[in-house]
Amino acid sequence: MTKKKPSAPKKRTNPSSPRHTHGQGHCLDLLRQLSAYIDDELPSDICGEIRQHLGACPNCEVFIASLRHTVTLCRHRPVPQLTSVDRMNMRRTILDAAHAR
Amino acid sequence: MRAPVSKTTPQRPAMQEPDGFDKLYRDHVDLIYRYAHRLCGETESAKDLVQETFLNAYQGLKDFRGEARVSTWLYTIASRACIRMRRKRKGQPEHELSIEEFVPTSEGEFRLQIPMDGLSPEEALQNKELRQALDQAIEKLPKKYRMALVLRDMEGLSAKEVGTIMGLNERAVKSRLHRARLFVRRELSARGITHHEDQNSGGLRS
Repeated sequence: MTKKKPSAPKKRTNPSSPRHTHGQGHCLDLLRQLSAYIDDELPSDICGEIRQHLGACPNCEVFIASLRHTVTLCRHRPVPQLTSVDRMNMRRTILDAAHAR
Repeated sequence: MRAPVSKTTPQRPAMQEPDGFDKLYRDHVDLIYRYAHRLCGETESAKDLVQETFLNAYQGLKDFRGEARVSTWLYTIASRACIRMRRKRKGQPEHELSIEEFVPTSEGEFRLQIPMDGLSPEEALQNKELRQALDQAIEKLPKKYRMALVLRDMEGLSAKEVGTIMGLNERAVKSRLHRARLFVRRELSARGITHHEDQNSGGLRS
């Protein structure tokens, strides 16, 4: 399966095109495939179709941008560190419990 | 909450630890704590989960044959322990997330955005309201979806590794991950966090 890294969606080039109605057809198909698209797991022809749709559908473009941001935020969510005292105390508790069994 | 292992045992007998336990603990305790904290969302539950994980690892170490990476083995133990602990604590049935519930019903829902324009993720997460909203959204996820999200997007494991840990095929992992991401996106967007005024104080215009 040929894969191609998805590029940034094209900006809408024709603002006077007919108003797009959502909730049907391409938008729903896109919704189902968004994670695979942003994870670069789709074949290049499907990626091309999605890019084409995004270029014509600003709402889907915004939706995918917010999903990308969500994933980025999750990846960078900070997490507290253990202290050396925590590590030592937990080790002692684990070994005490193991030997008590 | 109650600790999963007793903290009151006064003295442990002088026994030999299984070969390699200290190294296992030393090398992986921070990794498993990070995972536990991401799953549990708070410190004490995370410590309980770490202790339960390494207690199970201690008991299973003699049978570990190295078919999987040590970290994968420990992630698997921690994931199972987490499910057991949550079941004991809450006993709530899991609910399924369907793709249909994430279909926007108005253009406004498509257009809801998370405020990150021009900011690095680290800078965006200085926004206290956004950080809290993210934590709450992840906390609200049903655990099987949260586990997929944490392992894949936060711990950075491959879908195949996540499948090994969760006992799922890759397709099921990707399906859960996608629903989890859509859920978190919707929760963040629904909060209407739209503008940074003061990142440090979390003073935002909604």
